[in-house]
Amino acid sequence: MRKSVSAMLLVAAMLLMAALTGCGEDKKPAEAPKAEQTPAAAAPAPAAAPAPAPVKEMQVGFVYVSPVGDVGWSWAHDQARKAIAEMPGVTTSFVESVPEGADAERVIQNMARKGFDIIFTTSFGYMDPTLKVAEQFPNTTFMHCSGYKTAPNMSNYFGRMYQARYLTGMVAGSMTKSNILGYVAAFPIPEVIRGINAYTLGVRAVNPKAEVRVVWTKTWYDPATEKEAAKSLLDVGADVIAQHQDSPGPQEAAQERGVYSVGYNSDMSHFAPKSLLTSAVWNWTPFYKDVVEKVRKGEWKSGSFWPGMEHGIVGIAPYGDMVPQDVRSKVDARKAEIVAGTYKVFSGPVKDQNGVVRVPDGQVLSDQDMLGMTWFVEGVVGSTQ
Amino acid sequence: MFLPRVVKRQEPLQWGSFFIFAVALVVSLGVSCALLAVHGKPPLKALAVLWSGGFGGPFALEDTLLKSIPIFLCSLGVAVSFRMQVWNIGAEGQFALGAVGATWAVLAFPGLPMWAMMPVMFLCAAIAGGLWAAVPAVLRLRFGMNEIISTLMFNYIGILFLQFLVYGVWKDPTSFGFPMTPIFPKAAIIGPIAPATLGRVHWGLAVCVGVAVLLGVFLKRTRLGFELLAGGENPRAARYARMPYNLLVLLVMSLCGALAGFAGCIETSATVNRLQPSIMVGYGYTAIVVAWLSRLRVSSIACFAFLLAGLRVGVEHLQLDLQVPAAFGGILEGMILLSVLAGQFFDRYRFTLKGRS
Amino acid sequence: MDMDTALLLSILAATVQSGTPILYATLGEMFTERSGVLNLGVEGMMIVGAFTAFLATHLTGNPWAGVLAAGLCGGGLSLLHGVVCLIFQGNQVVSGLALTILGLGLADFLGTPYVGITTTGFQAFAVPVLADIPVLGTIFFRHDALVYLSYLLPPLFWLFMARTRPGLALRAAGEHPAAASAAGLSPVRIRWCGIFTGGFLAGLGGAYLSLAYTHLWTNNMTSGRGWIAVALVIFAFWRPGRAVFGAYLFGGVMALQLRLQAMGANLPSSLMLMLPYALTVLVLLASSARGGGRAAPAALGVNIEPEE
Repeated sequence: MRKSVSAMLLVAAMLLMAALTGCGEDKKPAEAPKAEQTPAAAAPAPAAAPAPAPVKEMQVGFVYVSPVGDVGWSWAHDQARKAIAEMPGVTTSFVESVPEGADAERVIQNMARKGFDIIFTTSFGYMDPTLKVAEQFPNTTFMHCSGYKTAPNMSNYFGRMYQARYLTGMVAGSMTKSNILGYVAAFPIPEVIRGINAYTLGVRAVNPKAEVRVVWTKTWYDPATEKEAAKSLLDVGADVIAQHQDSPGPQEAAQERGVYSVGYNSDMSHFAPKSLLTSAVWNWTPFYKDVVEKVRKGEWKSGSFWPGMEHGIVGIAPYGDMVPQDVRSKVDARKAEIVAGTYKVFSGPVKDQNGVVRVPDGQVLSDQDMLGMTWFVEGVVGSTQ
Repeated sequence: MFLPRVVKRQEPLQWGSFFIFAVALVVSLGVSCALLAVHGKPPLKALAVLWSGGFGGPFALEDTLLKSIPIFLCSLGVAVSFRMQVWNIGAEGQFALGAVGATWAVLAFPGLPMWAMMPVMFLCAAIAGGLWAAVPAVLRLRFGMNEIISTLMFNYIGILFLQFLVYGVWKDPTSFGFPMTPIFPKAAIIGPIAPATLGRVHWGLAVCVGVAVLLGVFLKRTRLGFELLAGGENPRAARYARMPYNLLVLLVMSLCGALAGFAGCIETSATVNRLQPSIMVGYGYTAIVVAWLSRLRVSSIACFAFLLAGLRVGVEHLQLDLQVPAAFGGILEGMILLSVLAGQFFDRYRFTLKGRS
Repeated sequence: MDMDTALLLSILAATVQSGTPILYATLGEMFTERSGVLNLGVEGMMIVGAFTAFLATHLTGNPWAGVLAAGLCGGGLSLLHGVVCLIFQGNQVVSGLALTILGLGLADFLGTPYVGITTTGFQAFAVPVLADIPVLGTIFFRHDALVYLSYLLPPLFWLFMARTRPGLALRAAGEHPAAASAAGLSPVRIRWCGIFTGGFLAGLGGAYLSLAYTHLWTNNMTSGRGWIAVALVIFAFWRPGRAVFGAYLFGGVMALQLRLQAMGANLPSSLMLMLPYALTVLVLLASSARGGGRAAPAALGVNIEPEE
């Protein structure tokens, strides 16, 4: 008798859990508005002209490092996946939460075996696995995000997020009162370090006295740790929190303490409407559509692609109400210069943390050096390890 | 009421472990499929995908075989220590340290020819993994410290130590600052056995076979091995027989660490060709499941390692075909282990209806 | 108040916050172990608690419904441990490990669609009068309801164990089940209660993470806290007072490791992230060296054989 009671309790608990998940299938909050910037002329719109011949069927696969629901990195890619799934004759599929390393190779290989035409692998750690599989499947097109290796049928691509970071830094630098800015950062890799540096340059362009303090969490999506990291920055006097993380944890911390914040990946204003100044956002759709079209027409060529703000691949989200007009116009003016190509973020003189000149006056840091950035610019407080 | 009564068996159930496992597998798959159905996925199709992804066809078998290599090596050591009632759950950390040890060898002696490089690599991996396991053993023997906690904490610490190295001193200067060591030289890469017929299956498999044979002989043919087999069942009895129990614990833990270290070395060299944080994917925890399922029989360990590797590979196909989250694998592993644990009851007891005694 | 004092106070306040989920889980595991059952599935029960708390709050809008759901589901999962160990005489160590693997898998599997959603959860509020006490008020009385609830648990735990008949029965089941049985108690039934209560509290610890610490859910958000709780039970010699000390010690280290970086300490972050785990080993070593293991309930981890 006693046993059956406990067994019933157990079953009830499991049913409760199952029922809760079953009826709670409602999805994400409404899609966040994308970058305010529309794709410039350079971003090719998919041919809207009536298709003369039946379009070639295309299967496009995506490999993500985190769940697509993370409102962050993978979510941004998945928005673009949904957009290309709307294209005629295109079917898409994705695998989420694929660990980088040996598992990734198998997942990519499975996709190739199943006859996918294009495979996007969207995390740095997929570089070597993608290359290995690309060598075995010469007729499949591989697109690897954020790496540096290529093959005849494999390109790498990324976006110049640092341009958007610089602009958000200008906003943050104008809004700080304590002149201490906090930056919650994921892993000390060039992509993140580059973003911190660009942000700091933006901050110091409008506020040379300000400093940016960095806390590494060694996580991409861990709300608890990332929120605590933001709090630790607030405790040492930071009054603007920026993040290179996929969770809105840092935003929450800023909102609770009533200070400002800067978002990343997508417009995070619905997480912290009172504190969010702006967000540095990704918009992969134009680039991905372009790739699919080119492959379909047989015009695709392997290479390294690093489009910037002028292609609309990165941008900044609409400003929060608290950002005053003079700050907006100053930032908008600089944005126009960046889009026009007349202003480069890493133009000299740029000193590093120790005061050593890394980019002399009158020179611009090369793409190579930017891709392999392992040092902090002057004004950053923190370790690069 | 017809309440069944529990009666202790005089002899263990014939073919018991096989039968229990079969029932446990069915129960686990049933519960997991019910979960899938609640989630709105077709359960039968999911089973078919799971099977074909893990075991149906040469590609699937190749993947599964590759994946079972590290799991098998980790499980061997864990099985030996479980047998001794030493709850070493630190295979994950020992795997990490093995990878670190092997990488150290490659970075320290980059110019060695293959015939020298391989032994040095494996030796360093075994030493690093073995030492990482020996520390908790010593702590247990000297201070009575609970080895479950210490080995588990050593997992976290070992993985962070690996990260510390790869993000710091070992970072490849030509990798654009990304956290990984340089690609190993050719001499340090464990290559495929026969790319034409066996695909990516590499010489790590031969290491598995060698280790398995050696361990089998050691357990069956040596006095020490016999002590291991005997000592485990009843530590106190072993001590009454004046067997050096403490030494045995130390030895078993170190052996376990060395084997997990081998696995780390093989994964690093054969699969990734360099050290990077992403080699850590939880083989050490799967090894616990395998070790408990198979007890201390080398052939069973091989079978269960292959089976669980197949499940892990199959789950990836589930993800691709049916968008089932990867965590499904964890549910399966946990359910199998729980139901086997419950099922082993029937190894020792049987039910009988009331009335007889 | 100067900057350094303010920083110190905020670290101590953060200590209480980070320590709270560990405190819940530690007390829960301690309760289970006092009844003689070793349940290593704390991590699994915590993560299931964290998920169900988030889910129930998301669906009902009431965080207390989330807390209740977390407790029930954490407890429900722990009953699996009961089924395996109390009915089927399975090995308690391995069953606990399996529970952790299962719990992490279940929460991740069911929870994937809910990643990236925020929920209402608990907000901090200052306790009237108490919050105005200098120093102590800032550290202890400007938190959320679950923290205040956790203040009540250790004294209640102690009272229950030391002063009530059921508490005595629970200890008897953990120390000497045969004697308890002879005295007319049912140690198996008591152990069921011990297991469920432990799971319930571990679930609450998880709920704290997803409803108060943050208002988000993600898989693996417990990141080893359940295991730290298991270690703390040994460290605390199975006594609730020392559990409070241990939980806050860990809370302090977790709060400090990130603040050291924020303060500009130029150390590799991997080394700082090691601190809580390294501390667990040290703390356990210290208590083991002092013979802490001898304070364990005598029948801990030993199954009660069915009567023939």
